[in-house]
Amino acid sequence: MSVNLTANAIPSIIGGDVNSKPLVQVLDLSLISSSSNSQQQRYRMLLSDAVSSHQAMLATQLNDRVRTNRVKKGSVVQLLEYICSPLQNRKIIVVLNMETIIPDCEIIGNPKPFGESNLPTQKTSPDKVVQTSSRGHNNNQQQTSQTGHAAQSFRPIVQPAYQPPPVYKNRGAIVKNEAPARIIPIAALNPYQGRWAIKARVTAKGDLRRYNNARGDGKVFSFDLLDSDGGEIRVTCFNAVVDRFYNAIQVGKVYTISKGSLKPAQKNFNHLKNDWEIVLDSNSNVELCPDEDDSIPKQQFSFRPIIDLENVDNNAILDVIGVVISVNPSVPILRKNGMETQRRILNIKDSSGRSVELTLWGEFCNREGQKLQEMADAGSFPIVAVKAGKVNDFSGKSIGTISTTQLSINPDLPEAHTLREWFDRVGKDSVSRSISKDVLPGGPKNEIRKTVSQIKDEGLGRSDKPDWITVRATISFIKTDTFCYTACPLMVGDRQCSKKVTRVGDARWQCDRCNQEFEECDYRYLLQAQIVDHTGITWVTAFQEAGEEIMEYPAKELYLLKYEEQDDDKFGKIIKSSLFNHFVFRLKIKEELYGDEQRVKVTVVKADKVNYSSESRYMLESISKFCRQ
Amino acid sequence: MDTSNPAVFVNGELLPKFIGKKVRTVVQVNKCDGVVTAAKSTDDQELTVNGLPQVPLMNFVEVIGIAETNRSINAEIWTDFGTTFDTNSYNRLCQLANGEFRNLFL
Repeated sequence: MSVNLTANAIPSIIGGDVNSKPLVQVLDLSLISSSSNSQQQRYRMLLSDAVSSHQAMLATQLNDRVRTNRVKKGSVVQLLEYICSPLQNRKIIVVLNMETIIPDCEIIGNPKPFGESNLPTQKTSPDKVVQTSSRGHNNNQQQTSQTGHAAQSFRPIVQPAYQPPPVYKNRGAIVKNEAPARIIPIAALNPYQGRWAIKARVTAKGDLRRYNNARGDGKVFSFDLLDSDGGEIRVTCFNAVVDRFYNAIQVGKVYTISKGSLKPAQKNFNHLKNDWEIVLDSNSNVELCPDEDDSIPKQQFSFRPIIDLENVDNNAILDVIGVVISVNPSVPILRKNGMETQRRILNIKDSSGRSVELTLWGEFCNREGQKLQEMADAGSFPIVAVKAGKVNDFSGKSIGTISTTQLSINPDLPEAHTLREWFDRVGKDSVSRSISKDVLPGGPKNEIRKTVSQIKDEGLGRSDKPDWITVRATISFIKTDTFCYTACPLMVGDRQCSKKVTRVGDARWQCDRCNQEFEECDYRYLLQAQIVDHTGITWVTAFQEAGEEIMEYPAKELYLLKYEEQDDDKFGKIIKSSLFNHFVFRLKIKEELYGDEQRVKVTVVKADKVNYSSESRYMLESISKFCRQ
Repeated sequence: MDTSNPAVFVNGELLPKFIGKKVRTVVQVNKCDGVVTAAKSTDDQELTVNGLPQVPLMNFVEVIGIAETNRSINAEIWTDFGTTFDTNSYNRLCQLANGEFRNLFL
């Protein structure tokens, strides 16, 4: 099939025409790997109009067109939105939007790289001539000066070591495009963007900070922007630029910003989802948009359920929302740097069944903290949304405010409404376990509840680390032929050795680890049992501690009962009485190599008697969660 | 197990809906004189139970019988549950058993 690409498309784009929508062909397509950030994939293309070809970059928002093969080598595309940026001493076309017309097509024409063949060769020769003549001139001069004077004197002469930039003959006068730059989404911002403008709302404004470094004193402030596509970026101003914009920028207002520079984001301080941040300078432009732009949200959150926080790293920054169940008064705290600040501790809970301590610092205590205290005293349970809170794992997990944290009380968000409904219906009375308090001895901290069938269905135990879960089930069978092993009774430090010992002669035992022989060995449980719940049945192994919890009888006595006294009757009774007992088992699940095959081994670490009250509460919570789906 | 004459799980709030019907509930005994017993339901309402013998005060008792009025039950079967009982869970049970999960119970 023959298709006519737009004639002279490449030269016109290079010449500055960004308003026609030319038809071009993709001759080549390659991925540029970014050394700084592997997530920032960029595609480079070679575009052709059948006569000339030129390098172009694909805006990242179009990346999936390549991945879904809508654009590939040979594709004929129509460029809808594009700009031409100067990069070093070349020009790069950046494609912001395009439409694939023909996905597969043979190469049309015989395109040559644009620009190189246009270098006027005649021009270089006169330059060279000029250079050689001047050099020759220099030599003469230097020779004369050297012969004339003993002291060296240099006559500084500029010798251009490079050719002057080539002039494209087939273009007219270049006019600087003074038209206002097009508004682009924040997500499309990158350092290769020639001219850009963004329109966004200020979601956070940092304090004015003064600093002192090797270069002297300075001041800086930052603010965060959010646009209508949900893109966020931080903007920073230094020194004189601070004076220009500090008072003008107000949280909640919408501004149009252009002519700033894009720098890699400092992930230590900047927790926004953007690899870049904007630095404004004296050329930058910030204009207030007076009309209320409802298309731009006031704030963007990505809330995590409190139960997830148990597994989050220390110092992670995240958003969370919950109902305030308690507010404590402000207390003055002496900080490490000698400064005094205020601290308030709140407890919030959400529908995940957990509550967490929220620590307010500094001004948050007096502003939002005071308001929340009043609301709590009045008997209401306000909802607080935290943006950019910091996780602290000092005692359990808690969340603290940092300078960039934002608190909203009873915000008008769908998550807040859902939380309010949950609280009024169920949550008020439900028991939430705090992830911030110290663990009571014997109480499990990270309880992941599963059913027996989930062990197999979810493939637990197959990863590098064992899976620890809690299952409420019933003992349905206990293997009685070998329920214990002969163990070493010697102490190693403060623990019993417990290694399996071998018989030596008739009445003595030997332990390989302790390298000793002795008369009496210990007997420790190695129970093979089956546990069953409403979903399924599985084999488990229980060692000494768990074995005793299940059997309620010491292993040694049971052994003696069976093998020495041979009281099968009593033995049978004890075994029978342990069957069909209900426990809350703490299980460790790990895949292990047994000979040739991988088998999933389930070990009972603890067998707790069922606390019917807390189990009922747990089930009621599960019912509410089930209903909400 | 005889399932021919099921009793409805009620608390103080639900009792009025089942007057004349067979109900079951758990109450905490406040006053007992061998004939009339004053008790507190799991949702903190004052109820009267007729026909309970002497039960230790503050004990929890399950009562199964006909609901006489919106505040009293004529006990037919009763069971002493002892001194500890999770009233919260029982209350939720009553609400769920007569609410969205009613068809699982009757």
